Amino acid sequence: MTGKGVRISGLRKRYGSGDTAVDALKMVNMHVAPGEVVGLIGPSGSGKSTLLKCLGAVIEPTAGQMMLGDDVIYHDGWKIKDLRALRRDRIGFVFQAPYLIPFLDVTDNVALLPMLAGKPNAEARQQAIELLKALDVEHRAKAMPSQLSGGEQQRVAIARGLVNRPPVILADEPTAPLDSERALAVIRILNDMAQRFETAVIVVTHDEKIIPTFKRIYHIRDGVTYEEEGQGRSFE
Amino acid sequence: MKKLPFQIRTLALIAVLVPLFALFVYVALRSGPLAPVSIVLATVENKSLSPALFGIGTIEARYTYKIGPTFAGRVERLDVHVGEHVKAGQALGGMDPVDLDERIKAQNATLKRATALLSETQVRKDYAKTQALRYEQLLKAGFASEEIADTKRQKLLVAETALTAAREELSRVRAEREALEAQRSNLSLIAPVDGLIISRNADPGTTVVAGQAVVELIAPYSLWVNVRFDQIRARGLAAGLSALITLRSQAGELQTERVLRVEPLADVVIEEVLAKVVFDHIPDPMPPIGELAEVTITLPTLAETPVVPNAAIHHIDGKLGVWQVINGDLRFTPVSLGIADLEGLVQVQEGLKIGDQVVIYSENALNERRRIRIVDHIPGVTQ
Amino acid sequence: MISLAGRDIMHSWGKFVFTAMGLGLLIGVTLSMAGIYRGMVDDAKVLLDNSGADLWVVQKDTLGPYAESSSIYDDIWREIRGMPGVKQTANITYLTMQVRKSKEERDVRVMVTGVTPGEAGTPGWPPYLVAGRQITRSHYEAVADIASGFKLGEHIQIRRNQYTVVGLTRRMVSSNGDPMVFIPLKDAQEAQFLKDNDAIREQRRRTAENPAFNQPGMPSLLDTVIASQSTNPYVNAILVRIETGHAPEEVAESIRRWKRLTVYTRDQMEEILVGKLIATSAKQIAMFLVILSIVSSVIVAFIIYTLTLGKIREIAVLKLIGTKNRTIIGLIVQQSIALGLIGFVVGKISATLLMAPIFPKYVLLEPLDSVLGFIAVIMICILSSIIAIRVALKVDPAEAIGG
Repeated sequence: MTGKGVRISGLRKRYGSGDTAVDALKMVNMHVAPGEVVGLIGPSGSGKSTLLKCLGAVIEPTAGQMMLGDDVIYHDGWKIKDLRALRRDRIGFVFQAPYLIPFLDVTDNVALLPMLAGKPNAEARQQAIELLKALDVEHRAKAMPSQLSGGEQQRVAIARGLVNRPPVILADEPTAPLDSERALAVIRILNDMAQRFETAVIVVTHDEKIIPTFKRIYHIRDGVTYEEEGQGRSFE
Repeated sequence: MKKLPFQIRTLALIAVLVPLFALFVYVALRSGPLAPVSIVLATVENKSLSPALFGIGTIEARYTYKIGPTFAGRVERLDVHVGEHVKAGQALGGMDPVDLDERIKAQNATLKRATALLSETQVRKDYAKTQALRYEQLLKAGFASEEIADTKRQKLLVAETALTAAREELSRVRAEREALEAQRSNLSLIAPVDGLIISRNADPGTTVVAGQAVVELIAPYSLWVNVRFDQIRARGLAAGLSALITLRSQAGELQTERVLRVEPLADVVIEEVLAKVVFDHIPDPMPPIGELAEVTITLPTLAETPVVPNAAIHHIDGKLGVWQVINGDLRFTPVSLGIADLEGLVQVQEGLKIGDQVVIYSENALNERRRIRIVDHIPGVTQ
Repeated sequence: MISLAGRDIMHSWGKFVFTAMGLGLLIGVTLSMAGIYRGMVDDAKVLLDNSGADLWVVQKDTLGPYAESSSIYDDIWREIRGMPGVKQTANITYLTMQVRKSKEERDVRVMVTGVTPGEAGTPGWPPYLVAGRQITRSHYEAVADIASGFKLGEHIQIRRNQYTVVGLTRRMVSSNGDPMVFIPLKDAQEAQFLKDNDAIREQRRRTAENPAFNQPGMPSLLDTVIASQSTNPYVNAILVRIETGHAPEEVAESIRRWKRLTVYTRDQMEEILVGKLIATSAKQIAMFLVILSIVSSVIVAFIIYTLTLGKIREIAVLKLIGTKNRTIIGLIVQQSIALGLIGFVVGKISATLLMAPIFPKYVLLEPLDSVLGFIAVIMICILSSIIAIRVALKVDPAEAIGG
């Protein structure tokens, strides 16, 4: 169960030290409730990538607090020990491109994560198939990624992100290469999945096609986040 | 347990890898020291061997005559050439007489003188005799003294001895003249028999020493082959056996011949036995003297005995024997052997029975621990 | 957990197997090199084994008869035969020369061996045949090794005589790898000594012109001298077999002391052949072996590195989604070992079935060499992966997230 979603307060990230120090993130506050899909918008150089890396538990912030569900994963210098396990079990990634492992079939691509967590293969595959069903790509379970269309691949990627039922999904420009119809389809899926699995979803994007669909948007500029009310349009 | 998706790709991969590994295992087990050795078996048969002796020899003439002078001199003329046939008594050539003719002439003159001397002494003796008789009669009549009669008698005796001396002198001179004439005739080189000239060793004008051959001739069609046999393999060589001769110039053609005699003196250093083999029919054209010939002498056929090919015989740990396959394993059986023939078969006296199988050919040296594989012929050897 | 390495191999198996085969040929060449060295040593050993001798008696102070030329009189064997501990003696001659089939131009380099006549089992005789029979006649028969290319029944020309091939052998070679041809001793002595017709005529002419040999008062002198020039009373060595129960070194020592000849036991001959005769070639091959191993290592490292580089994106993704470093290292190392495994299999097969039969000298591939080679290949694969592993570990998972 995901608990209270994602909560970040006062996050700061400083590179370097002394006179050459630069604060990529100065003051970041975010909270996303379970089931909610928010957008994260910012120009390049705004610290967006840095924030994403902190959210993804890839890098360690310099100060502030990060909470995932009920767990504090970072607090002013202290961080949770096993970042990798954290990424594997509690954060779901959806990238710009599907980035499926080309030499594993669709089922194994998704089942890889639970297998890495130590689940027996049969059980992991079962778990994977559930997600594939949810994303309506179960009929491609045995195919290799190269045999899928772009949209199918993206859905498999989303299934992979969700397979461990993580409390948060980080989607980095998931719709950038897609046309309007497909882009909206992806956003709709993300919303469906978010509600179904009670996952908080943060979508980093600058795609004008989907920005109107968000109910809440975080802007980031010069390392500081600003919250904004979104339009919340429907996905037609 | 990894679940293999049975796709074509996987099957193709298996189709490549499995034969590869199979081949690998095959290579590991079948080559190198672990591999079994191919062997060919032969059966011990009952055969009567015809042993034979083999030797090589040269064609020689039975009688070679070297004609030359009995004293040093110069060759004056040579009337014959190599390859000519000559008759007995024919003059082949002559030495330079030098002063011999003159010496004969001188000797003739001496002979005449001796003859004249003989006549003279004869006359003197006749006269002395007459005188002796006369004074004998006068002595009887009392008209001569005893002393004179003695003197006349003594004169007769002297004349008689002188006659004897002159006679012997004549004989001596005659003999000397005969000697010179004999020498003169010796200057002539005469063929002792009908023959064929085989070499001219000195041309006219050459000085030769006594005993040096000027011309050589052989009695034609009396050729034989002087054959040498290895002592080890000459057992059973005896006169009277029949032989087959192959001349080097006529390789493949065989002539039938006969062993004339076995030389009593063997060559110690080279360890060979010498024998002379004569032709039953001299081949036409006559083969040149000195040509090489291969001679095979067949000995009487022996009784039937178990025989084994000589390729099957090996010397292991000081014993002669053969390899046999007993219950799939190799085993070395010592044997004792008898006589061998020229085709490679050897009699077995002890150790094997007729019908036993022995290893005749093998790819490698054998020992009791080797794994074996029986084949018809060794692979890699084209027939 | 599934095997990522296995899945990757199966996915692009064509490329993988193709690469492995290329590597395999390289490994095959390396194995063949080792086999060539062993073959050379085996040639030397086989030569000694096949002669059937316990001792070799040669000219004093020579390393003969194989490493150096040696000439002794051919009747000395009698004196040795009577010594205590000696069971059997046999004269033998060796002459490496070109021999051709009669009526053909092409000739073959062989070692003509003159064997003493006798029964099978005489020292010097080929101990086993693969076809035909042993020599029975005292002249003009030969037993040839199949490596010479001569066949049963063919006529071959050695110097001035023709010989019929009556038997064939296998693995009867000189220490150089030249095939041996066995002929009767007397023919071999003649071959060793008598040259061709032109040379003989020349020699006779010179003898006849020498006034010392051509005295008018002695007409037969010239013939006698020429005859003596035409005989050859020498052989190269005497092979000795010892009675069971006697120590070879003892018997050798007594021959050395009383006959003042040089005698070598089997061990000493082996040392001469292996230690002196083939030492240079052995060093050359050892050097090649080392170079090939280094080249193989470099190539394997390069291949693994390239394979890993091609997967950098996937490795970044795997790292990001939480794959342990250990798993990623395992992916690389497993692939490397699989490459080495298939490469070794291909290498061993190609060395045995392709390279060894074609190579003009004897290639002996021993199982021990294969085992050592296999271990070496696997070790090289593991070590060569280190570079690729370092690259993989350095990958920043954040790269998967666009910047």
